[in-house]
Amino acid sequence: MSNVLEIKGITKRFGGLTAVSDVSVNIKKGSITAVIGPNGAGKTTFFNMVTGFYVPDAGDILLDGQSIKALRPDIIASKGISRTFQNIRLFKEMTALENVMVGMDTQLKSGLMGILGNFRGVKQEEERVMVEAYRILKYVGIEEIATHQAQSLPYGLQRRLEIARALAAQPKVILLDEPAAGMNPRETVELTDFIFRLRDELNLTIVLIEHDMKLVMKLSENIHVLDYGQKIAEGSPEEIRNNKRVIEAYLGKSGEEEAS
Amino acid sequence: MGFDFYIAILPQVLIDGLTLGFLYAVVALGYTMVYGILELINFAHGEIFMVGAFVGTEVLLLLQATGLLEGMNPFLSLFGALLIASLFTGTLGVGIERIAYRPLRKSPRLVVLISAIGVSFLLQDLVRLVEGVTRGAFFLNSPQLFTTNFQLTEMAILPMKSVIIMASAIIMMIGLSLFVSKTKWGKAMRAVAQDQGTSALMQINVNKVIAITFFIGSGLGGATGVLYAQYFSTINPFIGFLLGLKAFTAAVLGGIGNIQGAMFGGVMLGMFESLGSAYLEPLTHGAMGAEYKDVLAFSLLILVLLFKPEGLFGEAVKEKV
Amino acid sequence: MEKLKALLSNQNAQYAVVSIYLLVASLWLHYATKSIIAFLMLLFSFLVLYYSNKIPTKTRVIVGVLIFTVLLPLASGGNQYYMEVASNVGIYIAMALGLNIVVGFAGLLDLGYVAFFAAGAYAYAIFATAQANNFMPDWMQFPLGGEWFWPFLLVGLVVAAIFGILLGLPVLKVKGDYLAIVTLGFGEIIRIVFNNLDKPINITNGPRGIPAVAQPELFGYQFNTSTHYYYLVLIVIAVIIIANKRLEISRLGRAWIAIREDELAAQAMGIPLVRTKLLAFATGASFAGIVGVIFAAKQTFIDPTSFILMQSISILVMVILGGNGSVPGVIVGGAIITVLNVSVLQEISEWIQQLNMSGVISIPNELDPSKFQRLIFGVILIAIAIFRPMGIIPAKRPEIDLEKVKELDKTLPQTGILSQVQQGGKSS
Repeated sequence: MSNVLEIKGITKRFGGLTAVSDVSVNIKKGSITAVIGPNGAGKTTFFNMVTGFYVPDAGDILLDGQSIKALRPDIIASKGISRTFQNIRLFKEMTALENVMVGMDTQLKSGLMGILGNFRGVKQEEERVMVEAYRILKYVGIEEIATHQAQSLPYGLQRRLEIARALAAQPKVILLDEPAAGMNPRETVELTDFIFRLRDELNLTIVLIEHDMKLVMKLSENIHVLDYGQKIAEGSPEEIRNNKRVIEAYLGKSGEEEAS
Repeated sequence: MGFDFYIAILPQVLIDGLTLGFLYAVVALGYTMVYGILELINFAHGEIFMVGAFVGTEVLLLLQATGLLEGMNPFLSLFGALLIASLFTGTLGVGIERIAYRPLRKSPRLVVLISAIGVSFLLQDLVRLVEGVTRGAFFLNSPQLFTTNFQLTEMAILPMKSVIIMASAIIMMIGLSLFVSKTKWGKAMRAVAQDQGTSALMQINVNKVIAITFFIGSGLGGATGVLYAQYFSTINPFIGFLLGLKAFTAAVLGGIGNIQGAMFGGVMLGMFESLGSAYLEPLTHGAMGAEYKDVLAFSLLILVLLFKPEGLFGEAVKEKV
Repeated sequence: MEKLKALLSNQNAQYAVVSIYLLVASLWLHYATKSIIAFLMLLFSFLVLYYSNKIPTKTRVIVGVLIFTVLLPLASGGNQYYMEVASNVGIYIAMALGLNIVVGFAGLLDLGYVAFFAAGAYAYAIFATAQANNFMPDWMQFPLGGEWFWPFLLVGLVVAAIFGILLGLPVLKVKGDYLAIVTLGFGEIIRIVFNNLDKPINITNGPRGIPAVAQPELFGYQFNTSTHYYYLVLIVIAVIIIANKRLEISRLGRAWIAIREDELAAQAMGIPLVRTKLLAFATGASFAGIVGVIFAAKQTFIDPTSFILMQSISILVMVILGGNGSVPGVIVGGAIITVLNVSVLQEISEWIQQLNMSGVISIPNELDPSKFQRLIFGVILIAIAIFRPMGIIPAKRPEIDLEKVKELDKTLPQTGILSQVQQGGKSS
């Protein structure tokens, strides 16, 4: 299979600190890839570069062979990379349905004049958007909370809603930043099945940052390990499990910190 | 008027600009300190400056009315006025934080800013009210403590009060720098500015640090008000708003959160404004004059925010995603 | 209390309440010659309607329109005082509704909004007086007649929108609190420029202002009473309310609110920040522009003092007090603040002056309540921020008709990302 995303030696410095240093990652179409590493290893910074929130100081990012480096986040989103956030960033005062509708914005054509004039095309588009948003909620399994305010939802549903919103943008690649954070074991199992479904039914390519190693090992075909901003390992779950440097990075040489 | 004339007035323009610049610089400190800690533009800071001007001037007027002022050493009377004004405005600043900002620490920024604008307007009218009732007019003429002028050239004088203003401003800034870098509370302030949550974990009383920040910033602002009244001699309740905006511009110019930066920003803005009022007219052949000096200041603010939002001396900070 | 609530949620009871309310308010207004309370009571009848949720919406809208087009003018019985207050209130409500798009929907704190109002007002005033002769080519003769007022509504809109875009393009890259300061600065720049553009070429006549602005004319019919302007303003408000409502539920409204709630997440969802904010800015500005044209025609005189920072703050207070983003809230806020400004404070101060003159009491001029605008606004702003940050009538998202969505779900073909999923009801 071909690479949908090619990340070539990207680097990001903040002042004197190099958050991500010369990291290269290739992501195959339709694969599930995990980016792991201890806290502060530069995982989220890595995501932020891929989604355009940070411009890399060096290196390049190719989506389907075209460079998306230094493009604005909204343009990258419209080119097919969608994401969720580590600390859930829903539009709190909007309903769940509306949150998903916002996600569909890149596919809409209504303009200011059309809206003010209430043109027929605009009305039809609105209906279509509403229905599609509802179907996405249904697909994610949370259609019964369609009219609830996002901020009133329990944590687990908020995470699901964030994924639903990301799906609405019709991505080719979806980046999940700690999707299982704060979930109980049962919810985590559901999430695993759900991520497989996204890949299989929607032909999505999935990249995730995750601390839950059981989940990572079960889901991913390919794992990339970052430590202090550098990529220290890459491979299948089996290879990563037995990699010395990875174990060292996680446990520390003195073994103070614990993995997962 | 000829070219020679404009050259001849240059020293005077620079002296005026420098004096004004030091006034801006000290007020800018108040914005910078509060922003550094709360990330809040304390809209009411200009009004605190104005209240200081009134309190200090009232103290001097009281001394004058009791006949004490004549016999006193002018430095001593100024010091007394500065001290009382800054204690008063310092307390006022703490009170404002307690009533109008603290309850909103978790609210959206828009809400806090609206509260700050409210405080600003409230103070303007309160001072007008008090002055109106007690004096029958809302502007005030300050007794002049220093009237000596040093004749520098034929076209330029250095007023004693400019010297006093610059000296006081420099003393205040050095004092603040020492406080922030050397004392326990100064260090706590820097810690809270870095990370409130962690500071709280380290047994730092965050509320107290914030209160101290407001006290010092407001005290400095109030003291500057007294100096302003000495320089311009007439004050009214509305002087704070525009001056506050310009001081804020100075703070942004120097990099908000940066004490030395505020000083450079203030002096730069004062110079820029003074040069603008003097030379805009000949430069535009009379189409624009000194009346555009505020336009210059605001344009400078906008340009800085657009092209170097971290200020000339600040470090770029990236938003957390 | 519970019983009362139950009673009031009955449709017939609501009809009765609305009718009695309207009757009392109209009679009161009719028989009192200058009662601002009676006026407010009738004005706020729209709130009674708004809360009468058992009456069908269509009926409520029709009754509301009738109240303001027929009942209010009729009840005031040609009393020009009421019509004058009403058109002033209307002008500010219209502006507040415009600002609501910027501050309420998109969350952009604009402290220089009055600049757009000024742009519209000057655009008309300059060409509807001899002022334009100073800089236009000789073969064109000014002033333009009153029939030009109508195309100038459009001109005002366009000019203000251009101002909005020119201002917005650089400014909207600035974030959060800084935006407030920068817009404030821009507002002041515009005012200072208008104040000084009497030289080198006299365009605005500087601080002296522009007198004798032509009043509107339609097929030879002159608009010159407060009642005329009342109707004019009413139409504009209706248009702006419809625009607010349509925008609120549109793709754009959603994008604005998304930006207000979380700028980064909105951007990650593909919403272009600057362009979307710019649209909010320009839309809000253009409404202020139209209102500016009407203002210039109604006052027949404008000068820079009408466009000071205090005006921007007043309009902001209306929006925040009423409820940021809430259309009925903003109308209430606009009405309260304007009535407070133009009537209540002035009436109290006149009353005090009379007492002063008759020697009953002696109150210094500085205590004149009409000068307490800042104090009152200050207190309102602080109190609202602390106790009711959502305003009198908090904004709520318009309800979605879920039943209709479910119905459409069965009929509309599958599109978008889910079209790849095999049919067969994978629904949970």
